[in-house]
Amino acid sequence: MVTIETILGHTGEHLVLLLTTLFVSICISLPLAFASLYSKRVGYVIMKFANLAQAVPSFAVVAIVVPLIGIGFYPALIAILLRALLPIIKNTYIGLSTVNASMLDYADGIGLNKWQILRYIRLPNAYPAIFAGIKFASILINSIAILTAYIGSGGLGELIFDGLVGFNNEKILAGAIPAILIALTLDVIFTAMEKKLVPDYRK
Amino acid sequence: MPSKRIFDRIDSIQLRGVTKKYEGRFAINDLTLDIEGGEMLILIGPSGSGKTTTLRMINRLIEPDSGTIHINGQDIIELEQVSLRRNIGYVIQNIGLFPHMTIAENIGLVAKLEGWDKEKISERVKYLLDFVSLPSEMFMNRYPHQLSGGQQQRVGLARALVMDPPLLLMDEPFGALDPILRKQLQEEFCIIREKLGKTIIFVTHDIEEAFKLADRIGIMDDAKLVQIGTAEELIFHPANDMVASIVDTGKKFKHLDTLRIRDLMTPLDNKYVHAASLAVDEAIDSMLAKDIELAVVSNGNEPVGIVRLPDLMRLGETSDTIGDHAVSVPSFASDELLEPSLKDLHEKGHSIAFVTDNGRISGFLFPNDVFRQLV
Amino acid sequence: MLLSDLMNVWEANSLTTRTIEHLTMFSIAIVIASIIGVSLGIYLYSRPGIAHPVLNFLNVVETIPDIPLLVLLLPIFGLGEEPTIVASILYSLLPITRNTYTGLKEVDQQYVDIAHAMGLSQRDILFRVRIPLSLPMIAGGLRIALVFTMGVVTLGGLIAAGGLGAALIAGIQLYEVGTILVAGIWTGLLAVILDGFAGSIEKKLQRRYGTW
Ligand SMILES: Nc1ncnc2c1ncn2[C@@H]1O[C@H](COP(=O)(O)OP(=O)(O)OP(=O)(O)O)[C@@H](O)[C@H]1O
Ligand SMILES: [Mg+2]
Repeated sequence: MVTIETILGHTGEHLVLLLTTLFVSICISLPLAFASLYSKRVGYVIMKFANLAQAVPSFAVVAIVVPLIGIGFYPALIAILLRALLPIIKNTYIGLSTVNASMLDYADGIGLNKWQILRYIRLPNAYPAIFAGIKFASILINSIAILTAYIGSGGLGELIFDGLVGFNNEKILAGAIPAILIALTLDVIFTAMEKKLVPDYRK
Repeated sequence: MPSKRIFDRIDSIQLRGVTKKYEGRFAINDLTLDIEGGEMLILIGPSGSGKTTTLRMINRLIEPDSGTIHINGQDIIELEQVSLRRNIGYVIQNIGLFPHMTIAENIGLVAKLEGWDKEKISERVKYLLDFVSLPSEMFMNRYPHQLSGGQQQRVGLARALVMDPPLLLMDEPFGALDPILRKQLQEEFCIIREKLGKTIIFVTHDIEEAFKLADRIGIMDDAKLVQIGTAEELIFHPANDMVASIVDTGKKFKHLDTLRIRDLMTPLDNKYVHAASLAVDEAIDSMLAKDIELAVVSNGNEPVGIVRLPDLMRLGETSDTIGDHAVSVPSFASDELLEPSLKDLHEKGHSIAFVTDNGRISGFLFPNDVFRQLV
Repeated sequence: MLLSDLMNVWEANSLTTRTIEHLTMFSIAIVIASIIGVSLGIYLYSRPGIAHPVLNFLNVVETIPDIPLLVLLLPIFGLGEEPTIVASILYSLLPITRNTYTGLKEVDQQYVDIAHAMGLSQRDILFRVRIPLSLPMIAGGLRIALVFTMGVVTLGGLIAAGGLGAALIAGIQLYEVGTILVAGIWTGLLAVILDGFAGSIEKKLQRRYGTW
């Protein structure tokens, strides 16, 4: 018998891990992407690395963290970060760097400085891509945060793994269904926010 | 599967009361037009006047809202679309060679779909490539992006000719080419046309091109055919001011004896000039990049002759410079009188000459082109 | 770490067998997903009316986190390789189908137009113009699917499907640092190599079939 309290408790743990990681990954990714904009070399290296690392299965990343940092909430957070940074950095960088050249010329022409160009030209142009990156990352985080229960992060994954070990279907569902609902909710929320925040000036 | 050969030759094409509207606006308004078998009809007129729409109704890429089109007395609406189109060649300005097929595959595609055997296709492709002055062994296996714009346009023509269609529709085929290249292709096309003996409907924006190539010229404006006739008829009896102003730009050469070379020369862009010391393969790359088929070889400021792209390509692996292969051509000052120079060129059988200003080359004179404009 | 240590860890965990299991599940999933995905993409292209609902549905499937999807398949397929392969296919369908559909739809109109003018039938236009010109796009979708599948197959270890995931689990449970590192790095490396290989094929196709 799985009580509502148990489910809520695990859901709470899951959400704390999810939101903390999302917040931290946004805080790290955006400045990194901005920085890489000002050096072609750094940008190139970051993009190459992001592309390579994105192919690495999450489970491999989670596993490798164990001997390096141990188990528990923070190792889990770091393992998730390693995967979640990439899509945000990548999308932000692409969004910021694929600005119409004539627009940049024009901005130069009317005397905007680098900061102003970033603020008024590059950033608005990159909003849709940045948003897509954050949305993708949040869904990825939700998914890995279940896996990290295997290395002691707690949360909904714990219910699922306990259920698997004890052949307890009720427990499995008690973990799986909230996780799916969270994923769908994230998708809906971000899609709605996207519609609202990103002006529809492109077509 | 092979489609039916619908017609071996064109006796007549009749458009009767053809109308096409887009969003309530006429693209073609009640067009009646008779085209004779074997003629070259050129349609000319302002942008949006309905030229392309007219062409595309003949091969049924567009279906008219009302009116009929008959070819050899047969209503084309009753013909099967695919076989109708395989009997009509279509050439357009942006060519549309398939980027994933080699030149040979592009040209041979419809023949393959018709079930021809490999040898027959390859023979036909070779014949057509040579016909449009592209050495077949060199071009068959290339991809379109490896060709210059002019070469692609030739392939586009060869592709349209593969089933030997008796009717050709050409929509501004030379419109995107640089003026000198356009003149070259027009000249070649004149010769090709004689050999082809096909009925051709051709759209252009260039009245000189029309005068040079057309048997008859149809002037279109605002979805209507305003006037149709030979160049003389249009020049001497323009139906209205619009026609007069269109043909006027083409007939500035009334007194041959007073014309100077500069009046009829084709001005030259700097991109044509290449140093004699340039290696052959570098010159080929440069000419492909600049989309030219003819280059002026110069020694410092002194023009020593010309080289042609196909000739250079035919050389194959070589360490020669283009100076080694420059063909010398006659040269005239731009203020010389035209007539004696033309006579001179004609007698010696030259098809191109330099025009110089104070010893510096400023353009080309194409005597054949000039002749055609004069008569 | 010495080479002999590495060999010991490799042998002790029978990583050769694990790798073969891993790649077998991976290949089966990718082959089936490509066949279904490409056919579905072509079908949706011919039925634009249902394209949106189907793609939206696949989008929802895509949103479902991987472990919950795997465990939901357990009652139907039992433990082991089957649910792992099925989940991989489900995740791979969206990128492959979507890219096939978009690729076919967004072929440059000028090529379609000239193909019509040359007298190609609808069928010839699909098979000789649209599909070849969409190959780079389809390959892009396949490459995404490859990465997803690699991830899911690794998770398969959690539901007794074997593969490299099983080695990772053994390492974590027994806390064998060597096993975790060797199996983890090898899994990552394998994925990166396969992705790089797919990437080079994608580039080749782009060069061959891309528009210039
Ligand atoms: N598919 C379409 N939808 C809406 N309007 C169209 C379409 N095709 C053509 N038109 C309109 O029909 C008119 C005739 O077009 P058409 O392409 O025949 O002109 P044209 O004489 O070939 O012009 P140009 O010299 O620019 O090629 C134009 O006003 C054009 O905007
Ligand atoms: Mg037109």
